[in-house]
Amino acid sequence: METRREQLRIDPKKCTACHRCTIACSMKHHGTVNPHLSRIKILQFKNQELNVPVICMACENAPCIKVCPMNARTKASNGSVVTNTEVCIGCRACMYICPVSGPAENPYTGQTMTCDMCKDDEAGPWCVTACQYEGALTMHENDSLTTETARQQAGRFRKIYS
Amino acid sequence: MKIIIIGNGIAGNQVAFTLRQQSRENEICIISAENVPEYDPCSLPYFLGGDVEKKDIFRKKIEDYAQHNIKLVFNNKVVSIDPEAKSVTTDKGLEIGYDKLVLAHGGDLFIPPIEGIGNPGVFSCKQLLETEKLFSHNGSCAVVIGSGAIGIEVAEALKKKGYQVYIIELLDWILPALFDEPTAKRLETAMEGYGIHVCTGEKVLRIKGDNGVTSVVTDKQEIKCDTVVVATGVVPGTLLAKTAGIETGRGIQVNQKMETSVQDIYACGDCVETIDACTGEAAMFQLKHNAIEQGLIVAKNISGENAEYLGAHAFARAHFFKTHAATFGKTIRGTECLLGQTEIFEKESGKDYLRVVLLDGRVIGGQAIGKYADTIGLLMSAMWRKDDINLLKRKWKNIVQSKKADKLPQIRLGHIFGFGS
Repeated sequence: METRREQLRIDPKKCTACHRCTIACSMKHHGTVNPHLSRIKILQFKNQELNVPVICMACENAPCIKVCPMNARTKASNGSVVTNTEVCIGCRACMYICPVSGPAENPYTGQTMTCDMCKDDEAGPWCVTACQYEGALTMHENDSLTTETARQQAGRFRKIYS
Repeated sequence: MKIIIIGNGIAGNQVAFTLRQQSRENEICIISAENVPEYDPCSLPYFLGGDVEKKDIFRKKIEDYAQHNIKLVFNNKVVSIDPEAKSVTTDKGLEIGYDKLVLAHGGDLFIPPIEGIGNPGVFSCKQLLETEKLFSHNGSCAVVIGSGAIGIEVAEALKKKGYQVYIIELLDWILPALFDEPTAKRLETAMEGYGIHVCTGEKVLRIKGDNGVTSVVTDKQEIKCDTVVVATGVVPGTLLAKTAGIETGRGIQVNQKMETSVQDIYACGDCVETIDACTGEAAMFQLKHNAIEQGLIVAKNISGENAEYLGAHAFARAHFFKTHAATFGKTIRGTECLLGQTEIFEKESGKDYLRVVLLDGRVIGGQAIGKYADTIGLLMSAMWRKDDINLLKRKWKNIVQSKKADKLPQIRLGHIFGFGS
C-alpha cells in the first residue's frame, strides 16, 4: 500500500497564540467552536513569551500504534495516525507514550483524537488556512519537510561562512 | 524456504505478515495451540468488562491468513524440536520440517502452588478460552490473586459486571513491579474509593470449596466468595526450547539478531529474555510493543537484512474507571543495585502526582497519576536522549531565549521540572 505522506510543520517563533487554528479544528471535526474539541493545542509559556502549537507529528514508526491495547490507532492512507472511535476505550496509552504528548482527549467521550490532516477536504488542513498570515503552521507533502529544514540550515551556514 | 512459526500471538503474526510483505515466495506456516485467529491479550479484560464486543479483540480475521498465503495449523501444541533433522513434533503427532524456525509461543500463566487451585471456580484472564469461561460465569463476589496489570484490569472489569471484588497482593503495595510505594498507595486509595477492596501484604493459603469456590483463606482473614481469578504473572515458556538444547535463562536467550544458540532458530515475544534498551542489563518486559518490535527484527533477519535489536523498554499504564496512571523505566526499587546517585523529583496537586527517578542527573524512570501523566512522554524521550537535567537547569535561560524548534522538548521538559517559575 502506497501511503501518501503529509506532515504539518510548526514554527513556534511565528505563533501568536491567537487560537484561530483551534477554532478551525473544532469547527471542521465537530461543527462547533470549542477549544476543548480541538486536535491542536497551544501551550503558552507566559514567562518566556513563547507559544508552542502541539499536534500529532504523524511519526513514520509511531509508538502509539504499538501500545494501544485495542488496536484502535491506525495509520491512514495519507500518513496520519488516527484513533478508531468505535473501539477506543479511552485508556490514554497513546497520550502517555507520545514523545510530544500529541493526542488530545475528547472531554465528552474520554476517547483520544489526533490530527487527520483534514483528509476529506481538498483545500487542505483548516488550521493551515487559519494560520496563513502568521505562517506558524505549514503543510508538507512527502519529504519536503526535511528538505525545507535542510535548506534553512544550509542558509544559516552560508551566512556564517561567507 | 520453509518458515515455521510456533505461536499465533502478536510476535508470531508480526513475523509472518512482515515476511509475507517482503516476499511472496517463502512458505510460511503458523502452529497455534488455540483455534482462533490472532487476538490481542491486552483487550481481554475490556471484553470481560463488556466495554467492547468479542469481534473487536481480534487483530486478524481468518480470511487474512489465506489471503496472505499463510498456512495455519490449529489445536496443535509443539512438544519437541529436533534441530538435527530440522523438524518439530506436536502433541497430535504431527511432524513438520522447517528451514527457519521462530519460537513465539509466549509465556504461560504462573500458577501459584495453593491448595485448591484446580477448583472449577478458579479462572484466569490470559487466554481467550479461559476469559470466555469467566465471562459466562455467574457470580457475585470475586477474589483476584495478584495485582499486576492484568489483575487490576480484571478487578475493574468484574466490578463493572457487578461483582464484589477483592484484590490480594503478597507484596506491600499493588502493581509492585511497575510503581513505587507512594504512587501505588495513591492508586490503592483510588481503588478503595471505587469499591474494590485491596489487601496488600497478604498470602493466600488455600481456596476452599469442592465443586466451585466457597471461600479463600489468607494468612490474615477468610473471604467468602464464589469466583477466584489468578493473575500472578506470566513465566516465559522455556520447556520447548530446552528440548532443542537452546540456552535458556529466565527466558530463551537470544543475541541482538534475535537468534537463539541453535542455528536457524529464532525467538521473539514473551518467551525471550532481552536487554533493557536504556541501561543495557538483562531484563524481561513482556509487553506488547516489545513483542511487535522483536517480531519485526526476526522477520528482517530471516529475509537477509541485517537488523539489530536495541532492547526492550518498560512502559505501562494502569487505568481503572476515572483514574489514569502511567509508568516507564525503572522504579526506585529497581535502582537499588545501581551505582551512582539517585534522586527523586516529586510534584503533587490534588489527586495528581508525578514522580521522576533520576540517576546522576539523568531521567531513568517515572510514574504519574492524573494530569501529570499526559506529558510523561516528554520524560520518556528525555530518558532516551539521556538529557542531563542539571545542565538543562543551568542553561535553561539561553535555551528558552533561542526559541528554536529543535529545543522545544527541552523547553517543555524544563517546565515539567519547574525551572520556568
